[in-house]
Amino acid sequence: MAKMVSLDNLLANAAVRRAEATPWLGALIGEATEKFAHVGLPNRRNEAWRYSDLSKALHEATRSESEQGAAPTLAGACVAAFENGVLDESQSTYGAMGARSLRQVLAENASPFASIIGRVNGQPDHPIINLNTALMEEGLVLRVPADVTLATPLHLRFNWRGGEPRSEDGRHLRILVVLEDGARATLFESHDGAPGFATVVTEVRLAAAAKLTHIRLENFTDAARQTAATLGEIGEKALYRGFYFSQGGHFARHEALLKLAGEEAHVGVDAAYMVADRRHCDNTTIIEHASPNTTSNQVFRGVLAGSARGVYQGCVKVAKGAQKTDARQLSRAMLLSHKAEIITKPELEIFADDVKCSHGATAGELDASALFFLRARGIPEAEARAMLVEAFLVEAMDAVESEAMRGLVANCARLWMRRHAGEASHVE
Amino acid sequence: MLEIKDLHVNVHGKEILKGLSLKVPPGEVHAIMGPNGAGKSTTSYTLAGRAGYEVTSGEIGFHGEDVTALSPEERAARGIFLAFQYPMEIPGVTSMNFLKTAMNSQAKLRGEPELDAAQFLRRVRAAAKELNISEEMLKRPLNVGFSGGEKKRNETLQMALLKPRLAILDEMDSGLDIDAMKLVAEGVNKLRAPDRSFLVITHYQRLLDYITPDVIHILSDGKIVLSGDKSLALQLEEKGYDAVINKAA
Repeated sequence: MAKMVSLDNLLANAAVRRAEATPWLGALIGEATEKFAHVGLPNRRNEAWRYSDLSKALHEATRSESEQGAAPTLAGACVAAFENGVLDESQSTYGAMGARSLRQVLAENASPFASIIGRVNGQPDHPIINLNTALMEEGLVLRVPADVTLATPLHLRFNWRGGEPRSEDGRHLRILVVLEDGARATLFESHDGAPGFATVVTEVRLAAAAKLTHIRLENFTDAARQTAATLGEIGEKALYRGFYFSQGGHFARHEALLKLAGEEAHVGVDAAYMVADRRHCDNTTIIEHASPNTTSNQVFRGVLAGSARGVYQGCVKVAKGAQKTDARQLSRAMLLSHKAEIITKPELEIFADDVKCSHGATAGELDASALFFLRARGIPEAEARAMLVEAFLVEAMDAVESEAMRGLVANCARLWMRRHAGEASHVE
Repeated sequence: MLEIKDLHVNVHGKEILKGLSLKVPPGEVHAIMGPNGAGKSTTSYTLAGRAGYEVTSGEIGFHGEDVTALSPEERAARGIFLAFQYPMEIPGVTSMNFLKTAMNSQAKLRGEPELDAAQFLRRVRAAAKELNISEEMLKRPLNVGFSGGEKKRNETLQMALLKPRLAILDEMDSGLDIDAMKLVAEGVNKLRAPDRSFLVITHYQRLLDYITPDVIHILSDGKIVLSGDKSLALQLEEKGYDAVINKAA
């Protein structure tokens, strides 16, 4: 059983970190620690954590019954491999694209990143981001110069192996990606295994006309406890394309906190989650339209089996003056069992009067008529169920442009269906 | 062949079929006609094995075997095919993938070898051409955005490829104009064979102008009340269900 994560320990550790840090970092840690100390680890009394009580999850015993597969490999990608939360240079090739380890950047007295780290779409009161800032050690920093297109994706491979010495303070990883004007890159994050307690914060800053494709593939085992956040600032005419796939964990949460900061910026997020057993999976988004003529479109599709619990909280904010905003949000959930649960909370905060904002949420079972139709044609029940589950998710999967990455996602989905929806599958 | 004996079926706890008996020898086309609420759709769903259609007594004999306890897929593999009144739209599954899965599943359940990709394509192309179904349609998600006629042609295509021993056509003509109905009927007629029986379930006799039955049964209140040759359909058309059923009673 994992040891309890204690607030006192976390704060003491942050104080040590601060004392040893370079001045700029010390100031950042000091600020974050103070804020974090005020709120502590979030629990259900914090509105944003009402359905995902992290504090409680950290005090519970975790079960580890599911098997862990190998972490995915993406042919041709530059890799930053994190084993149990520590950057493993021997498996990494990120240097080839000019990325640097966070550890190195943090140790510099005058880092060009000093003014950026912890400041992208700043969330001064976010307990987990503050905790992460106070204790971040490992991670990666990438800057792509203006008009450069990275031909290969950057694969951030987080792999948590069994027998990880569970640090009482958890592991807190920070990624920073800066795309200068017109730069283009693809970021592929994979999360495997079972972190005892991890926070991962990915900051992405997109300057004018930059384009980032961000694929997240969470393939945790039962015992995983992680809360992650992607913080984004999307500049003028810049484009953020996100695809998130998750299978939940003992506690798995991802927040996409994205700010459309420049005119004609666009955010598109497609997500698929497949959650079984007693797992918990939380997808939270806050899309902030801060400039006029910005657009966003998010579609979350979830399949829940067993006694799983899914949470989708989607908030769209339209700032005063952000006229001609077009924001769309859709949540669709399919419940395969009567004990599975989906909690959907859409929120709109609109302070401009010439905008289009839509949101929709559905939750339903597998269509009994469609199931009968397939079976009446001779397709066995398990296979028919898998076909229908896949049909439900396929649109989300199709959003992944890269064939290789789509293949990795489809493989996870196929394995899940084999275990939970039926014996066979139809990923073509 | 099909031999239904004294079949009683409950749906949501209410008895809908109340002692249905029926025999369809190989190669014959039988029609079941009846007023609304007589139990026509219940008959077709029960034969295909849909959940919620509870057989309380009686049996469905198919080539000497009682199939009442079999799953829908097992019945399909034994050669029972239901052409749906309202074929399902299934987004995300292409017609092609669906056909291949269905054909291979049935082959597997029967212990026969699966088709290879080339054999499969050849068969589908040939059958689709006969029914005026384009390749482009086959690549689209199953029935999504198809017209009523296209859906029924798709059902006929499935029937042609799955080669059932008993095809149950449930209100095959509903939602079709005359031209679409003719095309579907033509497709069905081509599939008539000495070892294949048809059970045509319909409210109106117009479909029977195009698919000529050997025997017509009239279903009323969960039972067959009258059987006869195709002239029965004309009587119905002329006098209406009430008159014909009352006379029979």
